[in-house]
Amino acid sequence: MVILEEPIKGVMKIKNYVDGDWVESTSSEYRDIVNPATQKTIAKVPLGNEEDVKAAIDAANDAFPSWRRTTPLTRARYFFRLKALLEENFEALARVCTMEHGKIIDESRGEIRRGIENVEVAAGIPSLMMGYNLEDISRGIDEILIKQPLGVFACIAPFNFPFMVPLWFLPTAVATGNTYVLKPSPWTPLCMVKLTELIDEAGFPPGVINLVNGDVKPVTEILSNPGVKGVSFVGSTKIGRDVIYKQCAITGKRVQAQCGAKNYLVVMPDADVPSTISSLLSSFFGNTGQRCLAGANLVLTGEDEEFNAKMLQLIKDSATKIKIGYGLEEGIQMGPMQAEQRKKRVLGYIESGVSEGASLKLDGRNYDSSGYPDTCFLGASVFEDVTPDMTIAKEEIFGPVMSVIKVKDLGEAIETINKSNYGNAASIFTSSGKNGRRFQYEVECGNIGVNIGTAAPMAFFPFSGMKDSFFGDLHGQGRDAVEFFTENKVVIQRWP
Amino acid sequence: MLRTTSQVLSLHSHIEEKQAKQYSELAKRSPKHLEVFNRLAKENIRHRDMALRAYREGVTDAFEVGFLAKPLNPEEYVIEDHGNELKDALNTSLRNEETVIRFCLDVASSSSELIPDLPETFERLVKRKNRRVVQLKEILDEL
Repeated sequence: MVILEEPIKGVMKIKNYVDGDWVESTSSEYRDIVNPATQKTIAKVPLGNEEDVKAAIDAANDAFPSWRRTTPLTRARYFFRLKALLEENFEALARVCTMEHGKIIDESRGEIRRGIENVEVAAGIPSLMMGYNLEDISRGIDEILIKQPLGVFACIAPFNFPFMVPLWFLPTAVATGNTYVLKPSPWTPLCMVKLTELIDEAGFPPGVINLVNGDVKPVTEILSNPGVKGVSFVGSTKIGRDVIYKQCAITGKRVQAQCGAKNYLVVMPDADVPSTISSLLSSFFGNTGQRCLAGANLVLTGEDEEFNAKMLQLIKDSATKIKIGYGLEEGIQMGPMQAEQRKKRVLGYIESGVSEGASLKLDGRNYDSSGYPDTCFLGASVFEDVTPDMTIAKEEIFGPVMSVIKVKDLGEAIETINKSNYGNAASIFTSSGKNGRRFQYEVECGNIGVNIGTAAPMAFFPFSGMKDSFFGDLHGQGRDAVEFFTENKVVIQRWP
Repeated sequence: MLRTTSQVLSLHSHIEEKQAKQYSELAKRSPKHLEVFNRLAKENIRHRDMALRAYREGVTDAFEVGFLAKPLNPEEYVIEDHGNELKDALNTSLRNEETVIRFCLDVASSSSELIPDLPETFERLVKRKNRRVVQLKEILDEL
């Protein structure tokens, strides 16, 4: 089997990027970044402190007056340069993503592509941030709406999409004239280090985009510092709701907190079997289940038991064949969990499912890691006889586990979905337009798939989310993002 | 066995590059058909790039279940080396084109569920490669 060349050799010591320079963290505390497949240390990341972030926020505030006066057309050109550099470095970025996260190379390439698409959208900012006007609101008086940047925005990024998620926010924020502080996950910081190297090469002025590494301390400073106007967060509901959202409310910052999920996929008896199987496997087990859009609960209706039995058999047969190993081996179909602690968490849920009476029909604890250390690896699991009140049906597992719930009909399926605290995504598989429309109309989730397993919005649409899956008013990506990163100023003018 | 899109694309690139090299050599050996063979070589590189572009522009973070259910065997798509005689080499090229057409058809049918751009591109390649078979047969008839 072909192993693609690793772009990171040795152990890289990570620095922060502040005011256009790579600088050492003032902290002496470092964490090893370990390749989850090989268990080799590939980098050391500083667990930065408040001073590091203060310096970055100060630099961003200093850069803001000049950057906001830079014309939108010129700001867009920086993103055209960045886009070209990202394409040139596409493969290296994908391999770095696989090395630090564990996902397979196809998944990493997909992630890089989705990230670049956000840069492409931001390059259209001269059109996107246009205001509007109306002359003669009264005779001889005109009214104009202007969209203006606010100042410094910050992103607190998760581990599971280390390249794509920060790019849901950063390009639009900066293209609209704001300056930026980026804090990547302390588990997967390397993609953002590589991106920042390209940002530096693209020639963005010093202080416009800053990178600070760390864990809790930088977040505390971002949330309390009055120099930050708004925060974009992606992570768990507990942190997003109870820390990020509340603190931003206290300090008067704009906030968009995209949080946890428990996504239901409903398969109706009239679904097209081959394409549904493909979508289900990809949704539940792609990225080793570490996606906020991952399938979690598979809902089958009781209208055709023969169809259900056939579906489940096909799913188990296919899931058993998934080849597990290091994502830089081209034939590998599922990588490891990102870290040992995440695997342990999933194992805990598997045990919980068994003890609560669900039938473990495919046990992901039995797997072959293709000769790699088994620290983080886990196979695909399928539970049947799951009821909506079981822990595995209610809580976000964030691993390759499918829980199969049977209901009477589509009405009961929708009722079950809407009882969940979460509202991130849900999908239906059917050949009936009537079923599809009813599902889209009645389900209380922000991202709906109809014959689509992973309803991931493109860069020009908002990444929606409802209930405990999102806190804030305006989502990341699309027109929502332009609104989030700009203030609407209304001018009424009269020239006597 | 080929189980992922990445593997399939790597093999496809290898096939197209090997064919391009073979046609460049044929162009040197048969000055009468220099233009045709050079064009075929150039086309191989274009075909490689068409598939890579379709993959890179449309790649998703989802694994290809089509290949999971029915992995492709690379042994079935081996490009044969050319012999010394021009006619033999051309016959080999003809067989190779048929091998590549079979490969493209298999990729298209196995990858149809998740990435629509990819099977469509391979189906287009089949059409283009069928035209090459006709051209090669015409040259063989001339010899």
